[in-house]
Amino acid sequence: MMNIYRPIILIGWKGCDFMLQIGVQTKNIVNDSNPEEGFQLMKESGFTCGDFSLNSYLLNTSLYKFELNDFFNKSDRELEDFFTPHKEGAKAAGITINQMHMPYPVYVPNGSKELNDYLLNNVAPKSMRICKFMECPNIVVHGLKLARNLGSEEEEWKYTERFLDSITPLAKEMKITICIENIYSSIGGHIVEGPCSNARKTVERIDRFNDKYGAEILGFCFDTGHANLLGIDFEDFITTLGSRLKVLHIHDNDGIGDLHQLPFTFTKNRENKASTDWDGFIRGLKKIKYNKVLNFETAPVLSSFPEEMKATVLKFIADIGKYFSKKIES
Amino acid sequence: MKIICNLAGITDYNRPVQGVTDIKNSGFEYVFIDLKHIYQKGMEENLKDFSDACRVLISKCHEADVCVGVFRSPKLIDHKKEIGLFEFQQRLAEESIKISSEAKCKYVVVPPITSSLNSANQWELNREYYTKLIPIAKEKNVIILLENQYSNYNGRIIRGICSDEKETSDWIDKLNEIAGEERFGICMNTGTCNLCGQNMQDYAVTLNNRIKVVILRDGYGRDDVSMLPFTAVNHRQSQTDWLSLIRGLREISFNGGLILDIEDTAAAFSPMLRPQLLSLAKATAEYLSWQIRIEEQLKKYKSIVLFGAGNMCRNYMKCYGEKYPPKFTCDNNPKLWGTNFCGLEVKAPEELKSIPSDWGIFICNIYYREIEKQLRDLGVKNSIEFFNDEYLPSYYFNRLERM
Repeated sequence: MMNIYRPIILIGWKGCDFMLQIGVQTKNIVNDSNPEEGFQLMKESGFTCGDFSLNSYLLNTSLYKFELNDFFNKSDRELEDFFTPHKEGAKAAGITINQMHMPYPVYVPNGSKELNDYLLNNVAPKSMRICKFMECPNIVVHGLKLARNLGSEEEEWKYTERFLDSITPLAKEMKITICIENIYSSIGGHIVEGPCSNARKTVERIDRFNDKYGAEILGFCFDTGHANLLGIDFEDFITTLGSRLKVLHIHDNDGIGDLHQLPFTFTKNRENKASTDWDGFIRGLKKIKYNKVLNFETAPVLSSFPEEMKATVLKFIADIGKYFSKKIES
Repeated sequence: MKIICNLAGITDYNRPVQGVTDIKNSGFEYVFIDLKHIYQKGMEENLKDFSDACRVLISKCHEADVCVGVFRSPKLIDHKKEIGLFEFQQRLAEESIKISSEAKCKYVVVPPITSSLNSANQWELNREYYTKLIPIAKEKNVIILLENQYSNYNGRIIRGICSDEKETSDWIDKLNEIAGEERFGICMNTGTCNLCGQNMQDYAVTLNNRIKVVILRDGYGRDDVSMLPFTAVNHRQSQTDWLSLIRGLREISFNGGLILDIEDTAAAFSPMLRPQLLSLAKATAEYLSWQIRIEEQLKKYKSIVLFGAGNMCRNYMKCYGEKYPPKFTCDNNPKLWGTNFCGLEVKAPEELKSIPSDWGIFICNIYYREIEKQLRDLGVKNSIEFFNDEYLPSYYFNRLERM
């Protein structure tokens, strides 16, 4: 079997000898009608990696309304056929699919048994197989949001772990790292901690899980925007994660809504300094000697700017990535 | 559980009689005094002025027959003169401890100090700060409470010192070890937790019996405001996670002080309406206290029966049915009489007339007062309690729709 793990290639950039690879989510860039065009645009903009937005084929907004589409009714073979142009388009453009987002939620709290069985037993394993087909080494998943019903975050984790257990055999066989992400919940529109928002607990759980399977199956996806919504100390969170940090979702917000905007966008006072602690982000990655992909989850930026500016905006995002890389590597 | 009202927003510190009297007339017996409101610039030259002003306020409280439940030492912010500031901060804390002792108040909140110059070593800085306060705290027999803080990053509120529950627990344990006795605890500020969306259940459970008082205040989670609980709302939902707080405090069987801080709400209300506002505030604090101690109502009776065979009854059975099993339940729907619901026989309300006098009746239906009147009109003499399922230890995933 082909080993889909690939070493991170460090590429020279301006004043520094090496730089980290820069990635961006494919949503709003790569279209099903002509995937290669989108991947080419990513490459021309300065990206070398892609974060494949598998979640855009089964939207969370629909699932929370108990609405399913038939996309994942396709057989594995049909799904491979469907994604072959994407895979080949990425290869042709020289874009590595480094990470992929599994559709979420994988469990709808008030959903029917049929819906939740479908998500757990059909969507999740098919996502894993698509991940392998795309030769993608990391898949990002969300923990289950069940603390309200179950009574505590500890009980909630047990359900998440059961879900992880269900996809781990596939992950092990396919050499895919499952990356659990820090997410949030909402109380009357106010953001509060959701699954995996506590770094210490998460680290213990990742280690325990990997010990159980005797392999590094579980890693972490640090989402800067979600952490910012909770006023979390980036540097502390990242250094606590250490080598368990496998992938990133880099984006910014105003501390109130999950806006997925460009880093350095928001200010809160008359000095107009960035109100998100990007220095702490850099310090954290530098401390843990992060050598993986700097990946941006900034699809909404592309829908807010005019279509004619897409290439310019993408290049700017990649430049921000290069700036981060330079600071981390310096 | 001691319920304590913050003076701020209600009382004019220079003329406190009316505010303190309003507080007393609303049923509060204890107040919380943040001494920063007494401290004025220039007092650093002569702390006696500060102490005297504090004593005047305390005497006015005592004249109104109100005790001081908790003090908070002033926290000053002046990054430019940090070294001198910390020394002065310590003198203020020492003075606050003395004043607390004079007022026969057991607790004084001494917020941790934050160095902008040496942010990497906040523990060392605070260890030294609190250690210096141990002799006076011991002499005056006052417990020093740390308090969770937020911080500010270019205008954005982020988590500050003592916001990490594990780290805070370690700090308190180490300080108590240095003191050689339990001389330190924590004042959990819910408004501060809410600003950064913290999981208050985890915070409370981890800190456990180190929590001596809890400050109850509501807010939208964006600015540091103190609003009456359940008033920061959006689309009919509170924006503070009261469920998480109540679950946490229940889990640790919290029985300390609840400080109600409604400074901004009270200040925004007309002074003409303050007495009515304070009555509502007192009722709100009592309600939260009742929720935290919900099991105490159940423990009071030799046996209990329920009224209602719907979702609330189902929730009761899920969370408390095993520990406090009811004899049966009642319902006004004759179609349900004689049936079994969640393991309980459903009977007609008339059956309640013949139950032993030491059995308690728990109404499991939101039409509490209407049902209570119905039962009294029926001639039921037993104690009637209201059960509530708004803040339960756990929930079913679905509601029953048969009603």
